[in-house]
Amino acid sequence: MIRLVDVHKSYTKERETIKGVSFEVHEGQIFGLLGPNGAGKTTLMQMIATLMKPTSGKIEIDGLSGDKDLLEIHRKIGFLTNEIKLDPMSTPNNLFNFFAELYDIPEKELKDRRDESFARFGITPFADKKINELSTGMKQKISIAISLIHNPPVVIFDEPTNGLDILTSKQVTDYLKELKEKGHAIILSTHIFSVAEELCDEIAILVDGKIAAQGTVGEIIKQADVESFEKAFFKIYVENHIE
Amino acid sequence: MRKIITVFRWEISKLFSSWKRTVALFLLPAILLMAALNVFPLLINYMSTGSISKKPVTVVAAPETFRKYVDETVDARVFSYDYKTYEEFAEMIKDKQAFHKQLRKGMLVCYFYAGDIKRDFDDEVRSYYNEISAENSGAVSNAVIYVGFDANSLTTQARAEQFKEGVLRGYQDSLIDTLGGNYSVVGSSLFETDTFNPVTDFEDYRTTANTAASRVVPGVLMIMMYYCVYSLVSDMFASERDRGFMAKLIMTPVSRRKIYAGKILAINVIVTCSTIVTMLLLFFSSWINRSNDAMSLLPFGMMLTPSELLIILGCIPITILLMTAVCISTVFSLKRMQDITVNLQLPLIYFLGDFFLQMFRGSRPVTLEYFIPLHNSLELIAETFMAQNKAWHVIFIYLLNLGLALLIFRVTFRKEELQ
Repeated sequence: MIRLVDVHKSYTKERETIKGVSFEVHEGQIFGLLGPNGAGKTTLMQMIATLMKPTSGKIEIDGLSGDKDLLEIHRKIGFLTNEIKLDPMSTPNNLFNFFAELYDIPEKELKDRRDESFARFGITPFADKKINELSTGMKQKISIAISLIHNPPVVIFDEPTNGLDILTSKQVTDYLKELKEKGHAIILSTHIFSVAEELCDEIAILVDGKIAAQGTVGEIIKQADVESFEKAFFKIYVENHIE
Repeated sequence: MRKIITVFRWEISKLFSSWKRTVALFLLPAILLMAALNVFPLLINYMSTGSISKKPVTVVAAPETFRKYVDETVDARVFSYDYKTYEEFAEMIKDKQAFHKQLRKGMLVCYFYAGDIKRDFDDEVRSYYNEISAENSGAVSNAVIYVGFDANSLTTQARAEQFKEGVLRGYQDSLIDTLGGNYSVVGSSLFETDTFNPVTDFEDYRTTANTAASRVVPGVLMIMMYYCVYSLVSDMFASERDRGFMAKLIMTPVSRRKIYAGKILAINVIVTCSTIVTMLLLFFSSWINRSNDAMSLLPFGMMLTPSELLIILGCIPITILLMTAVCISTVFSLKRMQDITVNLQLPLIYFLGDFFLQMFRGSRPVTLEYFIPLHNSLELIAETFMAQNKAWHVIFIYLLNLGLALLIFRVTFRKEELQ
């Protein structure tokens, strides 16, 4: 479903942000990206989401390449990142209708999708309130609802539980599990080990733009020869980080 | 096209989602500019006389014909009058210091004198006309009207000139009808039709008002247009990119060009409407300027013919498109929001400079100026107000600005897509 082959990205000639990353994510799989700040997680996710072009290497979504089939890829991807803030003066209803029109969602389906999505995240009572009047958690839930408005087979979530309270985080993680069960291919970046351990089928630890370790949680712990995933992460980070 | 309209509608609805945003874009700048234009004469008056209010013209020994003329003539009612007899005036000037102070504060004195203070001014003029109608070639009149003012004050001097030209000249011309007797039949009927012809009156006002407007209105419109374009580009492009909302839009199955086209269309429609509102307010400002102060930036009677109006209405969206292209290319070439804000504000200084240049320049533009983008729009609007358009100016300026705008968009978006 998602395939990265030797992807490189440099913003300047001197510094390479992503250094030859390759991995595959299949249907019904959650792939976790773990790494410290500045490791290149967001850059990598933005490249997969076609917001940025790799300097070299290949990224394919369902066999489609960003160079040729950009708009078709957009129909297949739902991208959520904390760096995206919704228009503060709009209401959830207006935003939903606007994006539905951009994604060509038929009028008949629109109402059902909106009702279902708003009900799931408890947005319905706030549907006509302005975004700037809502809490951080509610804004995040609206962002998720809008990102997945077109029911995309590929979901890319950059730290979706960041800054959320426990209840909202639980709602989000439960939703991710449900998406996985429905067969969506999901890439998830997070700082929270428990979330990664609970959700991810496979994890890549990114250090200084390179994949330092990749596998299931068990495989990574085994590879690092420690007792917990947290310890494995720190050991791998220290071994691979260049001062 | 449907997607462009979707984005366009979204941007328009965003603008109207907050009344503060709507007012800030549509009315506030126009009202502020209008206020500034109206405050200008008051400010000049205050700076030169120390008083905001204008002193009435002190008329000494006003003859009956003058009072009647003032009552019946619109132009004369631009001033207010304080009538004094010779005795009252003599009493007034006894305290010389106080009198000089009044003059410094902008007082005008109009003094009617017929050679002797006991002699009536109207009688003196009447007898003069009687004598010349009796073919007395040696007839002499002692009737004199003196206008006194503080010659050190530019404003008062201008006001005195306006009084002499706008009131006394007309009054003098009217004397032949009111006091000329038999002589008036021979000497005064030649231009009577024009005196009462509203079209001629209207044309007179229009010529004066449009000449003054050509110095002020183009600059005001350019500043206004740029202010609105800069605000909207800042909001629709820079802020949305900064918030990441632009990325959300780009992630949809709609091409970037369509998204940008929808936004550019929205900017153009909003700013065009806003500029038209400003222009209407400027016309309104001129038409309510009944005082017609000598220092008025927009004198009474500003008016355009339909074809002139069309030229300006065509020039506005093209100018806005070019301004939008310049602003968007600035936004896309910079990353930090602070840098974008500073760089977008810089052209405002240019437009302000251009405004003052236009206000004080005494010559017509040289041909080379029509090749300077945006400045040529200002010159085109100025020319239109002066009714000095040439067809090639209009076509050339339209095409140059439109072509340049499209070229900037093409280069900017291509560069952005490659990134």
